[in-house]
Amino acid sequence: MAQSKLKILILDDEPIVCKRLKPSLEKQGFEVDTFNRSFEALQAVQNTKYDIIITDLKMEGMDGMRFLQEAKKIHPDSEVIVITGFATMETAKESFKKGVFDFIAKPFNLSEIQRVVMRVEAKIRGTQG
Amino acid sequence: MRILFAGDEHPYSAFALKELTRLAMNTWADVTLLGVQAAGASPGPVAPALNLALNRYRETFLNSWEGEDSPYAMSNWQYEWSPVKENLWEERLVCKSGKKCFQVRLRTGNPAAAILNEAREDGSDLIILGCTRGTECLWAGASGVPQKVAADADCSVLLVKEDQPISRILACLDQTYISQESLEILNQMVTMHQAELEVIGVNPEGGLKKEVYTRLIEIGDYYQDRGIKINTRIIEIADLESLIAAEGQQDLLALWMGKKSILSRFFPRDWVGRLVARGQTSVLVMR
Repeated sequence: MAQSKLKILILDDEPIVCKRLKPSLEKQGFEVDTFNRSFEALQAVQNTKYDIIITDLKMEGMDGMRFLQEAKKIHPDSEVIVITGFATMETAKESFKKGVFDFIAKPFNLSEIQRVVMRVEAKIRGTQG
Repeated sequence: MRILFAGDEHPYSAFALKELTRLAMNTWADVTLLGVQAAGASPGPVAPALNLALNRYRETFLNSWEGEDSPYAMSNWQYEWSPVKENLWEERLVCKSGKKCFQVRLRTGNPAAAILNEAREDGSDLIILGCTRGTECLWAGASGVPQKVAADADCSVLLVKEDQPISRILACLDQTYISQESLEILNQMVTMHQAELEVIGVNPEGGLKKEVYTRLIEIGDYYQDRGIKINTRIIEIADLESLIAAEGQQDLLALWMGKKSILSRFFPRDWVGRLVARGQTSVLVMR
């Protein structure tokens, strides 16, 4: 039986990041929505359950750390991957404390994020049995 | 982010390792330590001096984290097939790092080619290596290795010449395309050093080029949106070499040398090496 497509939300205030990631993840068989503003992304999370959330940290308005916290409150089993261009040891540690699946500093190759997303998928599919 | 650290047994490699460690502590990048030796240099797999240096770098790097904070903690035990001799394999229990990849590798042959091949095959985003001060830029006793790596790598390259705190980053740009990856590497360096950022527009032909000015405004807006203050100025391309030679001891010189960069179009290929050699301290070549 065909498995249903996993849904991915990408939040990054730099449109070029979303533009790069969306087609490559869609090609891998995921359903992908992208957002450049955290408030709009949070509205989407309230209406839709995303299996995987990929979020930047440094953004105007609600930052990525707060966004992932809010998103996890709504859907605790959504898996979160943090991507950041301004990485610090504190943000890395805090991200893992908040239960993110992985922390990836920019720049990254598409293959790097694809590999991480595949690991998340394996975890989710395994959990779902 | 994937970082390739190329280390030999000389002191500047230890300085470069410090930069690698600081960057890895912030970014939790996947890291490869690479040693290079001449083919047939040792009857064993690694010459003793290089082996000692790589062991020291590995231990220094892995011991920089406290307890469970390390994303590189060796916690992932698994069986893997290893070659014993031709047509014979053996299953061995190996331990790998947990959250992020950490590996030590050895290549033989021409040093610059070995480093470039490793970076290409491993998909590195940044190469870090040390070299001697001054214009000679020796690596593993050979001249021209850092220059060739800086000139020919597909990714960004950080050359560390000495152990100096960085308080200012001088980033030289021209009017052409700036890759997202180069901005991201620059941002990580600014964050790591908590450094002041000065973006210098390089004017290629004399007079004020509108495109250079426009690029500087775009860069200024980019950083303003992220709450980061930067200084900007414009210089003539003829003055670039003297600016590089006059940089301060606590400056990191960052050069945009992407495929579409006018700096690399205007200057012949060996100019990248020449600019790198002229740099007093560390030099970041951004792609």
